[in-house]
Amino acid sequence: MSKTNLITPKMSSEDILGILRETPGYFLTNNERDVSQSDFKNRILPQTTLKVAPYRDETGYFAFEISGGASIHVDILKKQIDPFEKLRLVRRAMPNTLLQTVCRGANLFGYRHYPKNVIRFTVRQFTKYIDVWRVYDFLNHVPNMIPVFEEVKKAKKILMPCICFSTGPEHTDEFYVKKVGEILDVTGKDIILGIKNHSGLGSPKRIGQLVHSIVKAYPDLIIQYHGHNTDGNDLGRMCEAVMAGAKICEVSDHGFGGVYSQAPALTLIQVLNDYGYKAPGIKIQPLLDCSDILRRERRYYEQFESPFKGFDPTVRRHKMTGGAAGSSFEQAEKIGLLDRFHEIFDEIAKVLKELGNFWATTPGSQILWTTAVSNVLHGRYERPSDDLKNLILGRYGPFPFYDPQEWICQKVLEYQRTDRKKWHDIIATEGGLRTPKDVDIEAKRSQFEKELGEVVDDEKLCLYLQYPYDTLSYFRFTKEYGKTWLLPPDVWFRKGGFKEGECISFQDYEGKTHKIEFISTRREGNKVLTSLLVDHNFQTFTTELRDNLVSR
Amino acid sequence: MFKKILVANRGEIALRILRSAQELGIRVVTIYEETDREALHTMHADEAVCIGPGPRKDYLNIDKIIRVALNSGCEAIHPGYGFLAENPAFPEECTKAGLAFIGPPPEVIKNLGSKVIARKIMTDAGIPVIPGTSILSEGTEGEKEALKFAAEYGFPIMIKAVAGGGGRGIRMVEDEKSLLEGLKRSRSEAKMAFGNDQIYLEKTLANPRHVEVQVLADQFGNVVHMGTRNCSIQRRHQKLIEIAPANLPQRMKKKICDTAITAAIASKYESAGTVEFLIDEDDNFYFLEVNTRIQVEHTVTEMITGIDLIREQFKIASHQPLSIRQDDIVERGTAIELRINAEDPKNNFLASPGKIQVYISPGGHGIRLDGAVYQGYEIPRYYDSMLVKLTVYGFNWLEAVDRLRRALNNFVILGVNTTIPYFQQIVNDPDFINQRFDTSYIDTHPHLLDYVEEERDMDKIAKLIAEINAYKENPYIY
Repeated sequence: MSKTNLITPKMSSEDILGILRETPGYFLTNNERDVSQSDFKNRILPQTTLKVAPYRDETGYFAFEISGGASIHVDILKKQIDPFEKLRLVRRAMPNTLLQTVCRGANLFGYRHYPKNVIRFTVRQFTKYIDVWRVYDFLNHVPNMIPVFEEVKKAKKILMPCICFSTGPEHTDEFYVKKVGEILDVTGKDIILGIKNHSGLGSPKRIGQLVHSIVKAYPDLIIQYHGHNTDGNDLGRMCEAVMAGAKICEVSDHGFGGVYSQAPALTLIQVLNDYGYKAPGIKIQPLLDCSDILRRERRYYEQFESPFKGFDPTVRRHKMTGGAAGSSFEQAEKIGLLDRFHEIFDEIAKVLKELGNFWATTPGSQILWTTAVSNVLHGRYERPSDDLKNLILGRYGPFPFYDPQEWICQKVLEYQRTDRKKWHDIIATEGGLRTPKDVDIEAKRSQFEKELGEVVDDEKLCLYLQYPYDTLSYFRFTKEYGKTWLLPPDVWFRKGGFKEGECISFQDYEGKTHKIEFISTRREGNKVLTSLLVDHNFQTFTTELRDNLVSR
Repeated sequence: MFKKILVANRGEIALRILRSAQELGIRVVTIYEETDREALHTMHADEAVCIGPGPRKDYLNIDKIIRVALNSGCEAIHPGYGFLAENPAFPEECTKAGLAFIGPPPEVIKNLGSKVIARKIMTDAGIPVIPGTSILSEGTEGEKEALKFAAEYGFPIMIKAVAGGGGRGIRMVEDEKSLLEGLKRSRSEAKMAFGNDQIYLEKTLANPRHVEVQVLADQFGNVVHMGTRNCSIQRRHQKLIEIAPANLPQRMKKKICDTAITAAIASKYESAGTVEFLIDEDDNFYFLEVNTRIQVEHTVTEMITGIDLIREQFKIASHQPLSIRQDDIVERGTAIELRINAEDPKNNFLASPGKIQVYISPGGHGIRLDGAVYQGYEIPRYYDSMLVKLTVYGFNWLEAVDRLRRALNNFVILGVNTTIPYFQQIVNDPDFINQRFDTSYIDTHPHLLDYVEEERDMDKIAKLIAEINAYKENPYIY
């Protein structure tokens, strides 16, 4: 594969920022992580990623986002791959492309604030693999991001602090330019500023104006634009962003990109080409080859696509983030509320307004969703969640524009209080941003080692600190079943079992081919005896069916 | 040369004998017990005859075996090792029945099988023996003799069964109390194992090396040696790894080989045999015993000399003079042999019978396999646990070690525990690689058991595929 990429991981972050500043045109970042999360419920498997990795590496992207957000949790929960192993595999397959993550600041890759020592420890583990750190806070509260900023800088990686973008009377250019200033005060100028338009809001004109205002205030600042195509207008917004001075845009492959994630790279290149804007170093043939393969792979992931096809211009009202909008239909169906779907989305819009018109991205989007569903089911704010209480108490940070009305504070904070404490007293005595106390990391390691029965390294520990139960389950699973991520999607997602004589073939970590052939399946009560030729060796496996393992 | 013979054995040695016989155009009849019906040797012979329900007792039934040999028109019987191989009654009965016995004459087996008579023969021939007693008297008289010997030579002392062999009937004692207790125990064990409760004492050498010499002797007084073997790596007096040559200084090697020939002549030896010695820390060597059979480890000698010992045994038994002179025998390179058993080393090497689900063996230059199993074979719990004997050849010691490591790594045996992971530890041990070992090696390297046996990745993955098949969907992803 080509080694002629303009930017490669071997360069220093200073050199990379220098190239971005000095090279005319715009750069592209392929965000498979977000495509997977927003359009395929996070299920794109490593085998698919690795299959197209050489083509993506040759394309000449600025970066490839393959980590962060919910993906790390889903990696161990549903894909049974160690997120660090995934990064090692991708790094090996894409040696010429920067790897990018998206990190939720104090929430890291989870949903609640973590202790500072856990944040620093986690970032240190991931900086071994991640070159570009896209960092945000759903309340745009800059102090929540500082520990991550510091660790990324310490590791000499590229820091991309983000301003989350939304719309409404409060969301002015003045507000955002001021926010950028707050960030720069902390980070200094050697960063890439990310605009995180997680819900794909605003017209192209609005985005153009925003970029223009930031460029005007900070002419040397490198700006990256991340949007979503929920309303079908991501392309227009990206074009305007580039024409106003944004240097990097996040895109998808046309073989994969759907509704709720990013618009395709090739379409953007073709349109901007007509306007006289070039993407330096981008090669078209590997871009085409990649999508040719992905088009064939896409059928395996069809089951995870939103049942509601087509764009959703109503996002302008409910403002749900791309990932949440895609999966909300399924969630509504699961709880039997599909017929009241519009009611929920109306309620989301109402709740967002009532709670201060903050940014509907993780974890705020989850709080909005659960509150709206609860309001529809049980009456408005009648059964508030703990997360909503914490939001109103300011535990995540201050409300950016205005506080919720008193009646909401009263209903939420006084719910199930046995001490008859009033809501204003509760806020006065219990409110405010509270950073969890540092944990004894070594004690956690000992605990995990005891539970797992083996030595635990820093990477495993880092996962355990964020998701203790799921991490333990995952590593127990790998002890039993090994590197199951090697299995191709048609095996991983197989429904209905396998036919006698069917042959599965796949490559292992070293590229060696393995073959598993089905000889017979025999059922004896609740036991299933599957006879296989594993690399030409006959073996019979007995599976004792357990009702609790799978619901059917 | 014989036209048809019977192999009175099972397992790898039966197959080993069968191969040489087939190369000479000799038809082979093998025997088996009902409990051994699916053994590999029953499948490869020209004829196979069931000799009874088993287990083990029919392989020891001389009358039955001779009857089968006669009924099937055999002219000779090869006993292999173990079972009846060193029972002098077997060659005696063979002779009476007009069958040739492919091994030494009965009186040689008898004399050399008695450790005390053997020591006398060797002493008379001027061969150094480890200081020891004659057969101990029974009761308190024997105790007195033992205490007197202890007072003269000091502890530790070995109590040995006169009829012992293969590591059985041997006990080391460190003080008077354990000596007196050991006498009783050893007598009772010897009675149980060999039907003979006679015992004697030997002074124990500190961490000796076990070196043996392969000899061949015909019925015309011709005797040759085929060099040395180092069998020092032993567990509880059972050889684990055997190496040829023993890597002795040239002068010492000549002396010890000449002594082995003297021993063979003194004992009127015929056929293939092994003269065993112990070498102390000052390079003094002492006669230990003569094994009057083909030995498990004969393959290492064959590898470095190129001579087929079983073929030579056939020739000797059919009254032919040795076809090779001492000068014809040239040693080249190094060979290492080990026994891959169905045992769990971590569980005190307990036998691990069961079905062999997967059997993939290594191959290539310098690798010899004398196996007795196949994929799908259910290892019977009644017999020894050897699966396959692995012998590797290298141009020099380090090449042989590298080849051994590679061969072990290339083995895939699933379904039963094996000694492979333990041997993998040994071939990576610096002391082994640098040839720093004596008979204390296993006891002084307990960390060799500190290994984790990993299931193969593909088998783990196959387990998940089987579950996806059983549940008709992947139960771990929704």
